[in-house]
Amino acid sequence: MTQLTLNPAPERALSNETLAVKISKLRKSFDGRLVLGGIDLDVPRGKIVSIIGQSGGGKTTLMRCVNLLERPEDGVIEIGGETIFANGAVTCRDLAKLRQRVGMVFQRFNLFPHLTAVENVVLAQMHAAAIDEREAVEKAVRLLTRVGLARRALAYPERMSGGEQQRAAIARALALGPTVLLFDEPTSALDPESTGEVLRVMRQLASDGMTMILVTHELPFAREVSDWVVFIDGGRIIEQGPAADVLDRPKEARTLAYVAKYAVAG
Amino acid sequence: MPISLALTSMFQVPWNDYVGNLAEGLVRTLAYTVASFIGATLLGLVLALMRLNPLRIVRVPAGIYTEIFKNVPLLAIIFLTYFGLPSVGIKFNVFVAGVLSLVLFYAAYLSETFRAAISGVHSGQNEAAHALGLSRGTTFSHVVLPQALRLALPGTNTMFVDLIKSTSLLVTISAAELMTEAQLIASETFRALEVYLVIAAVYFVVCYPVSQCLLWLERSIHAGVPLSLGRRRRIAMARTLLEAGA
Repeated sequence: MTQLTLNPAPERALSNETLAVKISKLRKSFDGRLVLGGIDLDVPRGKIVSIIGQSGGGKTTLMRCVNLLERPEDGVIEIGGETIFANGAVTCRDLAKLRQRVGMVFQRFNLFPHLTAVENVVLAQMHAAAIDEREAVEKAVRLLTRVGLARRALAYPERMSGGEQQRAAIARALALGPTVLLFDEPTSALDPESTGEVLRVMRQLASDGMTMILVTHELPFAREVSDWVVFIDGGRIIEQGPAADVLDRPKEARTLAYVAKYAVAG
Repeated sequence: MPISLALTSMFQVPWNDYVGNLAEGLVRTLAYTVASFIGATLLGLVLALMRLNPLRIVRVPAGIYTEIFKNVPLLAIIFLTYFGLPSVGIKFNVFVAGVLSLVLFYAAYLSETFRAAISGVHSGQNEAAHALGLSRGTTFSHVVLPQALRLALPGTNTMFVDLIKSTSLLVTISAAELMTEAQLIASETFRALEVYLVIAAVYFVVCYPVSQCLLWLERSIHAGVPLSLGRRRRIAMARTLLEAGA
């Protein structure tokens, strides 16, 4: 999509290179209740940002705004240097193209149950990106192998364990070569063993340099993989910084209370 | 032997002379069935989509339609289209009138089945499809519809067999289908018991295999057998690649 910007200003070109996602003054409310009250967040390329906070604090909404599954009311969102949303309106020309650049992994996997794992990874390649069938199947097999599912590639989701389903969902999200991957509580519907499988795959993606934004309650994992941790409460960023700072030495009382609670819980 | 005597005296119609009539009637019955089923499926799908539309002005007419045709007897609809409408200048030939009646009636029932099936597809499916950049059309045709079809199959299959049998009501407008032929044979031979027993058997011989085939189809789809050639091809491709990799 960068070719759409005909004459990029120099500073724009710079942010193109360094920032995968830039969010400024993002606001959103549901039925008059403020969910996001002016969020500013930069996600540099190749970095992993974890968003933590109480349920209902707006973290999932924030993430869903990044691929415009949720429409913000105000603010600016840029993906890879291209402004996709500004001042209450979608500014990218092609919503489908945008979504190919932002992969998403859901809490409940949301695999297509009528298709095998490999077909789940093929579908969007053929129908959203017009990739040739053979190439799409080859890529799907490669991605499933990468997430350790070569043996399960021809299984239907209902015959797969939660961990296998979530890894297939990660392969599906990777299929279109996204700039950034969004994870919405990817392990909260999983048992500990499956959680381990999924975290291993995410760790591998992290070491491959994938830009990721994840909403999670898995604080030990967040501490291990994240470059940056953002604590959100009441629709505002209360505290953000390097993972060790926010999780081990929180400055704000609310962050401390949250971290203490989840450190005990798991 | 008195029993075999009773049996031979029961079956005295020269069926060889009527094979042609029966075959013609059967073909006509199947023609009514297929034409009506296609029409009812299409209209039923449109009605189901209308009833799921967020706009009241689209939803309400479809709802009214469904309620009316679900609560009026099929025979009344047949009489209205064939005998009633000509008095306001709308005349259909018997085939069109018959098919139209069946379509109007069964579309109402099928729309209920389809509506339940479409709304039975989890909302996360739409979301996942949109997040992958699939258009609304592709999301419907490749994600929602195939899943809805699986949910709708049992109810639709029952309706299909029911439709085959309901074509017999068209005897009332002399539609030349199986039941009409039966009535003809009975009036020529005066052997109502034998004729209608044979005709009932013919209906059974048609309906039973059809419903068993549809059950088999249901089970295969449920077991994950890919039916489309495209899916088979992609799965075969993947299998070859996986075996080469292993």
